[in-house]
Amino acid sequence: MATPQIPTPVEIGRANQHDVKIRWNDGREIIYPARRLRLACPCAACVEEMTGRRMLVESAVPAEVHPLSIHAVGRYAIQILWSDGHQTGIYTWERLYEMAGQLPNSKIER
Amino acid sequence: MPTEDQVLQALRQVIDPDLHRDIVTLGFVKDVAICEGAVKITLELTTPACPVKDRLKEEAEQAIRSIPGVDQVNVKMDAQVRPTLAQMGSMMIPGVRNVVPIGSGKGGVGKSTVSANIAVALAQTGARVGLMDADVYGPSIPTIMGITDAPKPGEKGIIPIEAYGVKVISMGFFLKPDQAVVWRGPMLTKMIDQFLGGVEWGEIDYLIVDLPPGTGDIHLSLCQRIPLSGAAIVSTPQDVALQVAQKAVIMFNQLKTPILGLIENMSYFVCPHCGQRENIFDTGGARRAAGRMNLPFLGEIPLATRLRETSDSGRPIVVSDPKSPAAVAFQQIARALAAQVSIRNAEETAAEPVKITF
Ligand SMILES: Nc1ncnc2c1ncn2[C@@H]1O[C@H](COP(=O)(O)OP(=O)(O)OP(=O)(O)O)[C@@H](O)[C@H]1O
Ligand SMILES: [Mg+2]
Repeated sequence: MATPQIPTPVEIGRANQHDVKIRWNDGREIIYPARRLRLACPCAACVEEMTGRRMLVESAVPAEVHPLSIHAVGRYAIQILWSDGHQTGIYTWERLYEMAGQLPNSKIER
Repeated sequence: MPTEDQVLQALRQVIDPDLHRDIVTLGFVKDVAICEGAVKITLELTTPACPVKDRLKEEAEQAIRSIPGVDQVNVKMDAQVRPTLAQMGSMMIPGVRNVVPIGSGKGGVGKSTVSANIAVALAQTGARVGLMDADVYGPSIPTIMGITDAPKPGEKGIIPIEAYGVKVISMGFFLKPDQAVVWRGPMLTKMIDQFLGGVEWGEIDYLIVDLPPGTGDIHLSLCQRIPLSGAAIVSTPQDVALQVAQKAVIMFNQLKTPILGLIENMSYFVCPHCGQRENIFDTGGARRAAGRMNLPFLGEIPLATRLRETSDSGRPIVVSDPKSPAAVAFQQIARALAAQVSIRNAEETAAEPVKITF
């Protein structure tokens, strides 16, 4: 069915020791600072399901938080195992691509 | 004496009509043996349920026979179902190559009947098939498959019950009759995990999953937990039902689960006395809806009292009355479904998967 095609990642890897780099199939290459990504966790414990209110307290997240491993969920998202033990968040392609617009350091390579 | 090169060159003329590529490029040609004028090859298809198996065999034979110096041709047919690409990296259910959920927008459209008969029809072609009844609200697969035994625990998990060549696991095995189930999200997710990881499936080409009606937690859990090859959606011809089917289509789209096609059940009526076909409803509704949504149409199953009777008595119609119009419809749909899985997997192999290096 003809749903509008949102970009999908081609490669998900490291930008440096902690931060995540995603290369999208539209040519964009985005660096996601680890802590920004952790704070954006969409899981039910971090965001109230009904209201969308953020329940995660920034000060409760270690400054040095970083992904330990990342794996694919179905064909539409990734799940991240964090250094603070958190791992319930599912980051969809949509959400990640949307986040890209809010990051200062994205660069476009075509 | 013909050379191997000549044989391969000739076979490049044979195109798989579903995959749109020649059988050499597709890697179907195995074991070319040439002895004087006699050529022997094996064609390894991506499914034993291939709808164009005979045609490919014939065309391959003809292609080889046209090579100068060939006087004897032997084409052996074999099949090796390839896994969904996404499934290869994931160790969620080792040994299971393709997971195919059967869904519908609403209840009572014949989802369980269709799941069971497709599973058995696939097994009849020689494929290794599993059937998972994920309908926690009204598991009906044990009845349809005539299973009364309880499954036993094995070394690494529960051992599925085998019926008509299909390995079956059902929520019904773990519920007492008439036990009302009120399931909540997390419990459902846990059950799905147990079904997927806690069962000794062994080697499975197609795991057919009978979903509960609608678009709820189970669907979400399943699509999030494992990479699915794609879903099939069952609908009745009525327009209302088709609109509901559309809901299922939208849900699978949102979960990025490919849709392998639409199936129309209770499509038309064949008079058991005179064999006359009668379109009680607006037959063809699902075919048109599939066209509109740009989805494959997998086939239509007639309304048949025998179908209900055989299901109620635990002898699926593809086993108990394999020549009946309904059984023939199931066999054809099973082959169309297997072809769609092959097409999907071939497309995926061609497309680059996301590479994760973290
Ligand atoms: N083509 C058909 N002809 C006659 N009876 C049919 C046909 N398909 C299904 N049935 C009967 O209709 C009833 C409902 O079918 P089934 O249980 O397979 O539907 P379902 O979609 O799985 O329902 P549920 O939503 O309750 O899970 C059953 O009694 C079944 O035998
Ligand atoms: Mg059912």
